[in-house]
Amino acid sequence: MLTPGRYFLSGNVATAEAALLAGCRFYAGYPITPSSELMEHMSGRIENEGGVFIQTEDEISAIAAVIGAAMTGTKSMTATSGPGFSLMQENLGYAAMTETPIVIVDVMRGGPSTGQVTVVAQGDVLQARFGSHGDYETIVLAPNSVQELFDLTIKAFNLSIMFRNPVILLSDAELAHMTEKITVPEKIDLVGFNDIEIEGIPKFTPLGIGGKLAITGLTHNEKGYPITTDVQVHRKLVTRIVNKITKNEPIISDVEIINPEADTLIVSYGISSRAAYPVIKKHKDVGLFRPRTLWPFPESKFKEIAKNKKIIVVEMNLRGYGLEVERVGRKYGAKDFEYINLIGGEVPKPYQIEEVL
Amino acid sequence: MEFFEFYRKDRWPHQFCPGCGLGTIMNTMYKAFNDLKMDINKTVFVSGIGCTGRVPGYINADSVHTTHGRALAFATGIKLARPDLNVIVISGDGDLFAIGGNHIIHAARRNIDIKVIAVNNATYGLTGGQLAPTTPYNMITTTSPYGNREYPFALADLVAAAGANYVARWTTAHPNQLVNSLKQAFTTRGFSFVEVVSQCPVNFGRRNKMGDPVFHLRWIKEHAIPISKVSFDVKTPYEILDLNTKGIYIIGELVRRNRPVYGEALSEEEEESVPME
Amino acid sequence: MFPVINTDYCKGCNLCVEVCPKAVFVQGKNITSRGYFSPVVVYKERCTDYSLKKGERILCEICWLTCPEHAIEYEVE
Repeated sequence: MLTPGRYFLSGNVATAEAALLAGCRFYAGYPITPSSELMEHMSGRIENEGGVFIQTEDEISAIAAVIGAAMTGTKSMTATSGPGFSLMQENLGYAAMTETPIVIVDVMRGGPSTGQVTVVAQGDVLQARFGSHGDYETIVLAPNSVQELFDLTIKAFNLSIMFRNPVILLSDAELAHMTEKITVPEKIDLVGFNDIEIEGIPKFTPLGIGGKLAITGLTHNEKGYPITTDVQVHRKLVTRIVNKITKNEPIISDVEIINPEADTLIVSYGISSRAAYPVIKKHKDVGLFRPRTLWPFPESKFKEIAKNKKIIVVEMNLRGYGLEVERVGRKYGAKDFEYINLIGGEVPKPYQIEEVL
Repeated sequence: MEFFEFYRKDRWPHQFCPGCGLGTIMNTMYKAFNDLKMDINKTVFVSGIGCTGRVPGYINADSVHTTHGRALAFATGIKLARPDLNVIVISGDGDLFAIGGNHIIHAARRNIDIKVIAVNNATYGLTGGQLAPTTPYNMITTTSPYGNREYPFALADLVAAAGANYVARWTTAHPNQLVNSLKQAFTTRGFSFVEVVSQCPVNFGRRNKMGDPVFHLRWIKEHAIPISKVSFDVKTPYEILDLNTKGIYIIGELVRRNRPVYGEALSEEEEESVPME
Repeated sequence: MFPVINTDYCKGCNLCVEVCPKAVFVQGKNITSRGYFSPVVVYKERCTDYSLKKGERILCEICWLTCPEHAIEYEVE
């Protein structure tokens, strides 16, 4: 594992190293550009730490193996990209239903379908939240530098265990292949199973300790027995697994806010938010709202600053996070909305934001 | 161990139709488990979707009822994360071989230490009796109303070819042999696979003049030939597969071997022997 | 020992009638409390006469193993 100090690492390698520091001891994956380096790095390193690595036959199998391992109380993760993430959606819903803590790194590339294999996009923002069927919630994190990729990977493991929920880290092709300086801190705060009690989240019991668990993706009662036709049982279960995330949004959400008093607010996340910094430096009346936790939407933080603002959403997809920003923005009195939507692998540039100011 | 220490009494009687072969298989599982005196707290039962997928929910042990077809993928994760646990997968033919076909051949290829009980009732029972990859030629199902025009999979032979350490096929008409076979499977290191041909009188038999479970059981018994009685000149693999396409089940132990197991450290002798295979 | 059918569990599939080598069971004509025609044990004295080992009386247990509902139990005479 990395010792505290300064390193010069690419995004994918930093994610893998952070996962190992966070205690990840099971990795299953299937090679897919641009996430392959993460898997390659993990394959060589995880067994030194006493973990297990397996290259599965497809992404469905990868996430299934990760969920299976997580059920035994092992911190587990997988990494993939758009097409693989689409394949994982069914089991993502299963992990939410069975309240299994897993971490998925989605290194976004241009879609739909096979799309642009090697270039950056942010088209999976809505899929990460709404991809599987039925009502459920995910926690989605969006870093914008290699240092943040490192920090948020550790945070992803902590959140997944605290809330017994899948956590998705939205990296992208640009971040994954970018090499930057990172600092590994002296002390890393890790959350263990059942360390923190949160209302609505039952205690985690791993498989294989005689707990006689009945785990099912069917609607189940407190014992885990499937009861699929009872209105109340379903309502109680699904409301709880949704509320445990939405009600705790103030605890989960993590945002970067610059110049909250400014009249104009740039809302951006991930790699595209890096275009906003020079604009803010140059124009004193422009602020930045950058969620590090995309979902649940950081409503508690946004409502304080949204009133009477002109909002510019900068992202690399045609219809994505802007939809949610507009919905919440209108609720809290934002005046005007502008969108900069760039697809095709072009990272937004400061002058493109200045054009709409 | 009493029967109702192995099964959850508060969930009994189970939900399966009258005459379903799954009840017989549950009895044989209990008997094999009890005879071997395996530790129920160190065993995890994993299943997919389907009638058979509901069986682990009745077992008084850790049970994981997963998504459709992915039982083996989940089991792989559980086994690799906790190699000390016995991982037993019990699932149906549609779950393991149609939607999950890729997972089973790769699990057998890796020869990971998982025990699989595949219940082959030749149809999709839970969804109402549709065509399965195991439905014999010309049989009527709800999605092949004029008779099936596809040839069935030979499940056990497929897994044997993929590289499992123990492969056997039995039917619900041979419960005692099935118990012995399950015991052998549970104690064999590596990927062990037992196919159990089972009756589904309600959703398969009913449309093929075997609506009475007794008739369906008789049909299975008539179509099961012990491997020792298959005459020598049809023992080439292709001819055995031809028998399968005719809806004949060759029962008995098909494979018992000792290939190296995935995830277990190899001794020097074994390491030398690997490239030879 | 002879078999007894637990009518709380029996679903009347009659597989015990089919598999018993000594024809201990006979198809039932009366409806049970759960609405099934449960088989009845008529020739219970035949049961343990069927010996697998010479000179010993052993239960073959084939009805117990086959019964999908776990409705068959054995009672000592």
